[in-house]
Amino acid sequence: MTAQVIDGKAFAATVREKVAGHVARLKEENGITPGLAVVLVGEDPASQVYVRSKGKQTVEVGMNSYEHKLDADTSEADLLAVIDTLNNDPTVHGILVQLPLPKHLDEDLVINSVAPEKDVDGFHISNVGLLGTGQKSMVPCTPLGCLMMLRDHHGSLSGLDAVVIGRSNIVGKPMAQLLLGDSCTVTIAHSRTKDLPEVVKRADIVVAAVGRPEMVPGDWIKEGATVIDVGINRIDAPEKGEGKTRLVGDVHYESAAAVAGAITPVPGGVGPMTIACLLANTVTACCRANGLAEPEGLTA
Amino acid sequence: MRAAVIDGKAVAAELRAEVRADAQKLSELGWSPRLVSVSVGDSAAAELYVRNQQKQAESAGVQFEARSYPAETSLEQLIGILQGLNHDPRVNGIIIQRPLPDHIPVKALQKTVHPLKDVEGMHPASIGNIVYNDLALGPCTAVAAVEILKTLPLQMEGLNVTVIGHSEIVGKPIAFLMMGLGATVTVCHHMTRSVAMHSRAADAVFVAVGKPGLVTGDMIKPGAAVIDIGINRVETPDGARTVGDADFASCSDVAGWITPVPGGVGPVTVATLMKNAVLATRMQMDHYRDSYARTDV
Repeated sequence: MTAQVIDGKAFAATVREKVAGHVARLKEENGITPGLAVVLVGEDPASQVYVRSKGKQTVEVGMNSYEHKLDADTSEADLLAVIDTLNNDPTVHGILVQLPLPKHLDEDLVINSVAPEKDVDGFHISNVGLLGTGQKSMVPCTPLGCLMMLRDHHGSLSGLDAVVIGRSNIVGKPMAQLLLGDSCTVTIAHSRTKDLPEVVKRADIVVAAVGRPEMVPGDWIKEGATVIDVGINRIDAPEKGEGKTRLVGDVHYESAAAVAGAITPVPGGVGPMTIACLLANTVTACCRANGLAEPEGLTA
Repeated sequence: MRAAVIDGKAVAAELRAEVRADAQKLSELGWSPRLVSVSVGDSAAAELYVRNQQKQAESAGVQFEARSYPAETSLEQLIGILQGLNHDPRVNGIIIQRPLPDHIPVKALQKTVHPLKDVEGMHPASIGNIVYNDLALGPCTAVAAVEILKTLPLQMEGLNVTVIGHSEIVGKPIAFLMMGLGATVTVCHHMTRSVAMHSRAADAVFVAVGKPGLVTGDMIKPGAAVIDIGINRVETPDGARTVGDADFASCSDVAGWITPVPGGVGPVTVATLMKNAVLATRMQMDHYRDSYARTDV
C-alpha cells in the first residue's frame, strides 16, 4: 500500500480562500475589516522571516496587518504598554507576540497579558483552560491545522484510536484535547513512554510532534493509518553536496508512506497550515468580537 | 480476593492532619483560612453534602460559612454576589454547590470566581495551569484520585494509565495530572471501540463515568491499580446501596489495589477541598505581600 499524500500547501490555500471569502463578506455586509497585529521584539532573523510572511498573507486575504517592531532592549513595561494599547484597539482582532522573546522578558507574563479573546496563538492560560473544559476558545494554530487536515481526510474522527507523540504545550497537549473533542480515543506518548512502537502500532491516527528527525519508522505504523508529521528538522544531506542540508519530519517518510493510508510530507504538510490557521483564528476572533455568527470549519 | 483495598478514609485523615497544621500556621500569621459555600435553591442532597463539608472543614481547622439563596435568584445577582466574595479579604475560598437551578449556567459562575479563590479548581485558568503542568488549585476529585494513586508503591514515570471517562472536571484533568507525572495516558469514553483493550494494557485504571459495573475483572491487567471515582445508587434485593463504576467483586480478584465505594476517593475529595483552601489562603497572602507589603521600596 502506498499512502495518499496529504498536500498541506494546497489545503492551506483552500483555508486561506475561505478566510478571504469571509473577510470580503464582513467588509461588505458589516463594514468591518479584520485586523491582525504582530509584535516583534528584537532582530532574530528567523522571526523576521516569519513576521514578514505572516504580514504578507494577512494582506493577501484582505485583512489589515499591523506590525509593531520593538528594539531588542525594550523594557517589560514598554512591551506591556504596547500590548495594552492593542488590547483596547477595536480595529485589532488578533494579537500575536512573536516568540521567542529576548531573555530579559518574561514570556508567560507577556502571553498572559494579551486579551484572551484576541490571543490568536491560543497560548493564554485562559484559552488553554477553556479548550481543556470544552468551551469556546482560541485554538493554537498548528494543532488546529492538523485537526482540519484529519477532518478533511476522514470526515468523522469519532471512535478512532489516536496517538499523539510529544506532550508540548503548543502542539501535543492541545492536539490531544482537540482529538478528544472529536471523540477519538487518545493516547499521549512521550519520552518516558515504555514500548512506544507498540503504542503507536495501535493507532488509526498518529500525530508526531517531538522534534527528533525520523524517529518514527514505518514498521511502527499500523497498515492504513493516517500519519500527521508536525516535526521540522534540518539534517545534513551530504548526498546533495558538501555542507548541504535538508528538511525532514519526525517520521521516516519513505518507510511510513509504504504502510500508511495517508501521510503529510515535510516540508509541505503541516507547515503551511499554521499561518493559514492564524488567519482563520483572526476571522473567528473578529466575528466573536462583533457578536456575529462565526464561520464554520475554521475553528475546533 | 487478591487486591489490597485502599482505605480512602485513612488517606483523607492524614491529609486533614497536614491541612490542620498548615491552617494553624496561617492563622498565626493573621490569615486564618475561611471558605464560603454558595447554594442556590433547595436540594436535600446538596444540603447533606454541605453539612459534611462543614464538618470536615472544622476538623481541618478551616472556617466554613454556608450561604443559601432562593431558587429564583438571577444569574446577574449571583455574579454580583460572587464578585462581592472575590473582593472580601475575609473570604479565602468560594464553593459553588451543585445542582443549580436550570436558569443558572454553572460555567458562568465558575468563571466569575477569582482564580486565587477557586478552591474547587474549576476556573478556566486553574484548568489551564494543570494542562501546563503548573499545579496550583486543581479540581478536587481529580486531584484526590491522583493523590490516592501516588500513595501506592508505583513509579509514576512511564506508568501506563487508562482513564475511562473524559469529563471536564474529572477524566481530562486526571489525564493531564498523570501526564505531568510522566505517565503514558490513554483517555477512553463512550465512543471508544474497545475500552477493554486499553484498560487491559494499563498499570492503573481510573474510571469516572457513572455507570455501575462498567469495569469488570476481565478488563483489568493482573496486579493493576483500580481507582474508582463513580458513585451510583443501585437497588439490590437487600435495599439501596452505593456502588462505583467498577464491579468490585470481579475487579478485586484481579487487581493489585482497588478503591472501595464508598470510602475510597470520596473522603479524599473533601480533604482535597480543605487542602485547596489552605493553598488558596497562602497564595492570597503571598499576593498581598507582593502587592502591598514590600518593605524594600
